[in-house]
Amino acid sequence: MMAWAITAFDALLVALLLWLAWQAIHADGLFRAVISFMVFGLLMAVAWVRLDAPDVALAEAAIGAGVTGALLLSALGRLPERDKEAPADRRARGLAAVGLAALALGGATALATIAWALPAPGLGREVTEALPKSGVDNPVTAVLLNIRAFDTLLEIGVLLLAVIATWALGPMQWSAPARVMSPALPVLGRLLFPMFVLVSAYVLWRGGHAPGGAFPAGALMGAGGVLVFFAGAKPWITGAELDPWRWLLSLGLVAMLVAAVGVGATGRSFFEYPVDLAGLFILALEVAAALSIAILLFALCLGGRPPHRWGSEDEA
Amino acid sequence: MNELFIAIVLVLLGNITVGLWRVMRGPTAADRMLAAETFSTSTVAIVLILATVTGRGALVDVALVFALLAALAVVTFVSRAWPDIGEETARGGGGPKP
Repeated sequence: MMAWAITAFDALLVALLLWLAWQAIHADGLFRAVISFMVFGLLMAVAWVRLDAPDVALAEAAIGAGVTGALLLSALGRLPERDKEAPADRRARGLAAVGLAALALGGATALATIAWALPAPGLGREVTEALPKSGVDNPVTAVLLNIRAFDTLLEIGVLLLAVIATWALGPMQWSAPARVMSPALPVLGRLLFPMFVLVSAYVLWRGGHAPGGAFPAGALMGAGGVLVFFAGAKPWITGAELDPWRWLLSLGLVAMLVAAVGVGATGRSFFEYPVDLAGLFILALEVAAALSIAILLFALCLGGRPPHRWGSEDEA
Repeated sequence: MNELFIAIVLVLLGNITVGLWRVMRGPTAADRMLAAETFSTSTVAIVLILATVTGRGALVDVALVFALLAALAVVTFVSRAWPDIGEETARGGGGPKP
């Protein structure tokens, strides 16, 4: 019974994922597409759990299901009514979707062929051997912040570039309170925000020896900020004083660059931490990166920067 | 015992499958959002049961993150998207509003 049931579960999961992915690009109405995308994120995390990759599941849960869903929903709320659905494009969209599906199928086949030819255990053994010198017990964190810290540096750089690009699009008009302001929202924000802070600190700390770390922690913290903001809170920071904002946005990238180049002063190469201090380096970088990621994701929801002044209730 | 757990997980995933019908049909945006929230709750349960079955404690953290983030989707929906797209129709949702 068990093997049969597990196979049924996996098959149903795959079928649902394919259906939701199709809906996310092809559904009638953008709202349905956004909902499909959010549910896709949820089930994708379950798929990662089934694939025995809790680290990826955690990141998918925090970023895929949480922050991007909120970002898409709030973007949808700002779109003018006529942009939400253009029925005339349906035919063109159908053709494009078929083309994309063919392309994706081809790409997936090519990737599967390549993946088949890869050496089976990958680099797992090398990572396990280097783990005692990396400063942490969790191999994923060791790879992300020590062995391949350069990749993480570039990832944070990409996030910063995205915020800069959004910023460059110009200021957003905010009517700070929502159009239908329920009294429950500010209370919910006040109740939940401490939980977000607590859990993201926990996830960050866990990263040293179990799935967790800077990206999920930062994403969770950013999500908490977005929640409180959408629930009606007004941040202390405004567009009138942007210096602390700029510093917070670039904190992660600056900290990683300082660590990478700073070790060069003692004659080491790029990102080569001293072995006995590696744990400390990683912790400091994780805290800086998590804070910075939180602010970067929050900034994406704000359109890059806070407005010059927050609108007050009577303006809306 | 494990067999019972796996049966429950299968039923929960079946729930999500059935709930997708509500996401597709609507008729209002709020119906779709509520269905998506049901999926969040079901997913938390699925991940927690998988944590028990596989004995991987880290999965409990995944469920914790899911539970927190489910609130974000609702708050965003209510405060940013709802009034504007509240009465989106099942077909197309287009057309200028009076």
